[in-house]
Amino acid sequence: MDEDVPSQGQRVRSTVTAVRKSKGRGFQDNRSTREELYGTYEGLEGDGGTGPLKSVEGWVVFVSGVHEEASEEDLHDHFADCGDVKNIYLNLDRRTGFVKGYAMIEYAHQQEAQQAVNNLNGSDFMTQPVKVTWAFSSKPLRRIENRSRR
Amino acid sequence: MPGFTEDFYVRYYVGHTGKFGHEFLEFEFKPDGQLRYANNSNYKHDVMIRKETYVSQAVLEELERIVVDSEIMKEDDRNWPEPDKVGCQELEVRRNGEEISFATTKLGNLLQVQQSKDPEGLRIFYYLVQDLKCLVLSLIAAHFKIQPI
Repeated sequence: MDEDVPSQGQRVRSTVTAVRKSKGRGFQDNRSTREELYGTYEGLEGDGGTGPLKSVEGWVVFVSGVHEEASEEDLHDHFADCGDVKNIYLNLDRRTGFVKGYAMIEYAHQQEAQQAVNNLNGSDFMTQPVKVTWAFSSKPLRRIENRSRR
Repeated sequence: MPGFTEDFYVRYYVGHTGKFGHEFLEFEFKPDGQLRYANNSNYKHDVMIRKETYVSQAVLEELERIVVDSEIMKEDDRNWPEPDKVGCQELEVRRNGEEISFATTKLGNLLQVQQSKDPEGLRIFYYLVQDLKCLVLSLIAAHFKIQPI
């Protein structure tokens, strides 16, 4: 491995100036290893718009409010109406072993994913309403402001 | 359900320096949705993975829910094992004008947590970082099709 420690690109140290309370060893000295986040990162190019961002193999929607006893099969049944489900990510709570509460569904085509966002957002899934949105965005969500907040 | 906050920031690092150099995994979420992920393992293949993307508001909200539900902000790393040769973990969270920047050693198993001086607090950290890693690895895998090391 080449000892390539890129130095360009100052990391944003703090995006909020008005911190009222700080806790932890990280504030005591400068031993933090954070410099690893310096350097050049690879991303995927969007179409220049402000909408959702295409992933390598398709379009990913993010589902929250997922019932703790949901299975991949349940999710598949719920989301297959909008198109061919290519992949499902359903993570479990590491402590309880139940579903953590979110899932990701991958479709090959934007139209299918768009339909899931349009039709299934707010739909009932195992007695709970789920929120269905895009997982990735082609633009920052907001400008990071360096102002104090009350 | 906690309210969404505009200044929400999370960073996690785990790593060590050993036979294969500096091996680590690190990620951060910025308030504008930027997710950065870096993973370096020199074992067998010399690859440094650095990926970035923007996640949607819903992903940030879910992340915030997970962090808030864990109640990690109420903890303190004062009585946790210090980072050492085995490795180092760092967790930084900013939210609502409060920030934590915790550092401890790598925790291999729950027994280590239970035998520490602050088992309740360290357990919260232990499970939270696993849940966070799990979310990030899925996001990165879904977006870039990368199988993490």
